[in-house]
Amino acid sequence: MVATFLSSWAHVRRRRSDGWSIGALVLCFLLVGPVLALVLTATGSSDGLWGHLLDTVLFRYIGNTLGLMLGVGILACFFGVTTAWVVTRYEFPGRLVFEWMLLLPAAIPAYIVAFTYTDFFEFAGPVQSQLRMMFGWAQPSEYWFPEIRSLGGAILVMASVLYPYIYMVTRIAFRLTPASLFEIALVHHKSQFRDVGLPLARPAIAAGLALVLMEVVSDFGTVEYFAVETLTLGIFNVWLGMNNIVAAAQISLVGFVFILSLLGLELYARSRQRFSSTTSKTNKLQPLVLRGRGQALCLAICCLPLVFGFFIPVGVLLKFVLTGQAWANLVAVAGVVTGSVSVAILAALLVMVISTLIVLAATYRGGDMLRRMAMLASTGYAVPGTMLAIGVLIFAGAIDRIYAGLVGDGRASLLLGGLGILIVAYLVRFQAVGYGAVISGIRRLPDNMMGASRVLGNGFAGSLQRVILPLLRGSIMAGGLLVFVDVLKELPMTLLLRPFDFETLATYTYQFAKDEMLEEAAFPALMIVISGLLPVILMNHMLRRTD
Amino acid sequence: MTVTNSLLAKLISRQASCRMVFGAVIFALSFGLMGAAKLQAAEVNIYSHRQQFLLQPFLDAFTSETGIKTNVVYASKGLAQRLQAEGEASPADVILTVDIARLSEYADLDLLAPVSSDVLNANIPGHLRAADNRWFAFSTRTRIIVTSKERVAEGAISDLEDLADPQWSRRLCSRKGSHVYNRSLMASVIAAHGEAVATQWGEGLVANMARRPQGNDRAQAKAIFEGQCDIAVMNHYYYGKMLHSEKAEHRDWANAIRLVFTNQDNRGAHVNISGGGVAKHSPNRDAAVQFLEFLTKPTAQQLYGEINFEYPVNPAVSPGGVLQSFGDFKRDELAIEKLAELAPAAQKIIDRIGW
Repeated sequence: MVATFLSSWAHVRRRRSDGWSIGALVLCFLLVGPVLALVLTATGSSDGLWGHLLDTVLFRYIGNTLGLMLGVGILACFFGVTTAWVVTRYEFPGRLVFEWMLLLPAAIPAYIVAFTYTDFFEFAGPVQSQLRMMFGWAQPSEYWFPEIRSLGGAILVMASVLYPYIYMVTRIAFRLTPASLFEIALVHHKSQFRDVGLPLARPAIAAGLALVLMEVVSDFGTVEYFAVETLTLGIFNVWLGMNNIVAAAQISLVGFVFILSLLGLELYARSRQRFSSTTSKTNKLQPLVLRGRGQALCLAICCLPLVFGFFIPVGVLLKFVLTGQAWANLVAVAGVVTGSVSVAILAALLVMVISTLIVLAATYRGGDMLRRMAMLASTGYAVPGTMLAIGVLIFAGAIDRIYAGLVGDGRASLLLGGLGILIVAYLVRFQAVGYGAVISGIRRLPDNMMGASRVLGNGFAGSLQRVILPLLRGSIMAGGLLVFVDVLKELPMTLLLRPFDFETLATYTYQFAKDEMLEEAAFPALMIVISGLLPVILMNHMLRRTD
Repeated sequence: MTVTNSLLAKLISRQASCRMVFGAVIFALSFGLMGAAKLQAAEVNIYSHRQQFLLQPFLDAFTSETGIKTNVVYASKGLAQRLQAEGEASPADVILTVDIARLSEYADLDLLAPVSSDVLNANIPGHLRAADNRWFAFSTRTRIIVTSKERVAEGAISDLEDLADPQWSRRLCSRKGSHVYNRSLMASVIAAHGEAVATQWGEGLVANMARRPQGNDRAQAKAIFEGQCDIAVMNHYYYGKMLHSEKAEHRDWANAIRLVFTNQDNRGAHVNISGGGVAKHSPNRDAAVQFLEFLTKPTAQQLYGEINFEYPVNPAVSPGGVLQSFGDFKRDELAIEKLAELAPAAQKIIDRIGW
């Protein structure tokens, strides 16, 4: 009798655990589907195009892509980590404002920043005009000024708007580091930053950096505008110029492999390190009060990325709005804002729910297989948007055909042509953002947390609800916020997959920006920033209350 | 559906933490269904590679003339792949795009339906529509050379081939070679001289660049105005747009440049088109054909000139006053499909010379 009870209990337990893992696995497969569709496309024949590419452009593409990744990676890490450290560890005037302001550059699409930088730094722009006036130069040949439309320019632009991905997760990591560890460092005359803060924040920094690099590999707008020949630019030359979508899919997988190998490298390097503390709630980290030079340094560290990522671009946009006739389309833009924001909220909610489920199942239930799948499911971010959109189209087309077969109506469609496909596309693309936020949160939790809760009589779901989820709340909200601004500014997928007459702020801005009509594009572009502003402030307020 | 619903209901009641997920999924699905149920009569659905704001005046005129509602999706790339994925279920009726290379991508993928219309046949000259009536041109544009009025003497440059002349060393600027306009231009040179000569020409052109290729066509006029270079290539309508812009600085750029229709003493200026066709699985075929016919009628043909300074295809419609002020010019008589055919070869040359 007892034996029967025990065995059925074990059976039920196994089944329930399977339910979680299988659910997560199914979700992962759905998220990987569009990427798989691209991989399948890439298996076709590329008509010997690789010989030509190898002979001519491939190494240039790869060199530029790697250069861009390296440059943006270093600069974004510098911006993100230093600011995160300063606002959590020190007390200085304006700290609470910087705390949320530093997130704002994330709300500006990189290609818009590229436009504004060109306007600001080019020959006729205010910087060079001022220099010419000061030194009495007249002709461009009389002096040297760095070309903004270059690899260096692209690095500056992208790092300035992408560093918040690192800042956001790193700040949470710094904040959750137990104060006692810093005290130990003080006692032993070790650097609080180098010997305690940085190593403990490494998973978070890596997660943020992964997002930044994926964004770099998949960017098209900025590199096209600055004419930097990266792999993404090559994809479009091959696809649209040579009518060879197979080779285009193959090139996009090259960028994908870059990212996967980087992720693998980081995982390997970290495989034997575990940092977690069971005493994180015992005493709270108090910011150190600074004076004089220290304060000035903190201010400088916080202002630098803000100037590049926010004040210059927003200033140029404002100039266009105030001098142009941008107010004329106020009514049109107001309608677009509503649609834009609702879609972004919906997508952010869905992404966070799905990525939390997947991470929880992979961490506490699944084996290595599920963990790898979970990582794979969050790589849609590394594929250029338009190519991923094509993957989504192929994938959704297949689902629709099955659906049409079931219903018996060839014209029936479940996903294509509606908002559904757009939401699916956002899930596939921004799963990486949700996954990164949740995984960096969960890695900080002590291994024995779940065990302790189970011993105290909570079930698995109960433990999640009562113990694990409350501890992950900050990370989940941070991820949701990033997804929200990401969707708000997402362009290539929205452009291609949207239903008839559906505009988001990004697509509305783009129709003007495409022809470099900056005056017309400035107002909707500014609205993207403003729409991102409120949730950033709100979320920051909630984050502050969580600890 | 009810079975699914009750199943969902069971699942939801079982697991509180799952409730949100399913709610959200149902929400997303209902959005999808909404999209699918949207089709109605007396509408025409347009997939467009031209921006909405350029298209809107045509749509308004069409709706007020026929009462047929228009719906638009604008995207710069990938619409052919969308159409392909949608297959039979596609709501698209009409495809609108610029450049013959993009137009023939649709034809090559078999996404367009042949249309036999007396109106289209009468309004569009034979060489500006497909032999099998799958695509039609609605306007033409020519790619011209522009030179600095101040620094380049009138008549000093007349042919595309001259751009490779070493006397213009460090005086040229251009947008990137891989842009569809330059790719088609290269294709026209290949058609005229063959790949070897075209490659040599391209190398000379790149060697003459004053700066790395960048920006759009308008940015080249700006660079000439600022003195960064003296010679550039651009589509002719940009000149019209700048000359008649509300922005003073755009007018300054236009006033700084002189317009040169190329190759007037030999094959004529390189011409490309904007055009479109009816989608293969168009659900509103009659309305779609009506829309294409409308685009070739005088009202719409004049709009092409007024809004975007493009030349009408309908021989019965004369170009507007602005276009006439540019002067008459001789056009390259090359069969326009040839440009699309040679585009891949052109892109390879562009890769090789690093334009």
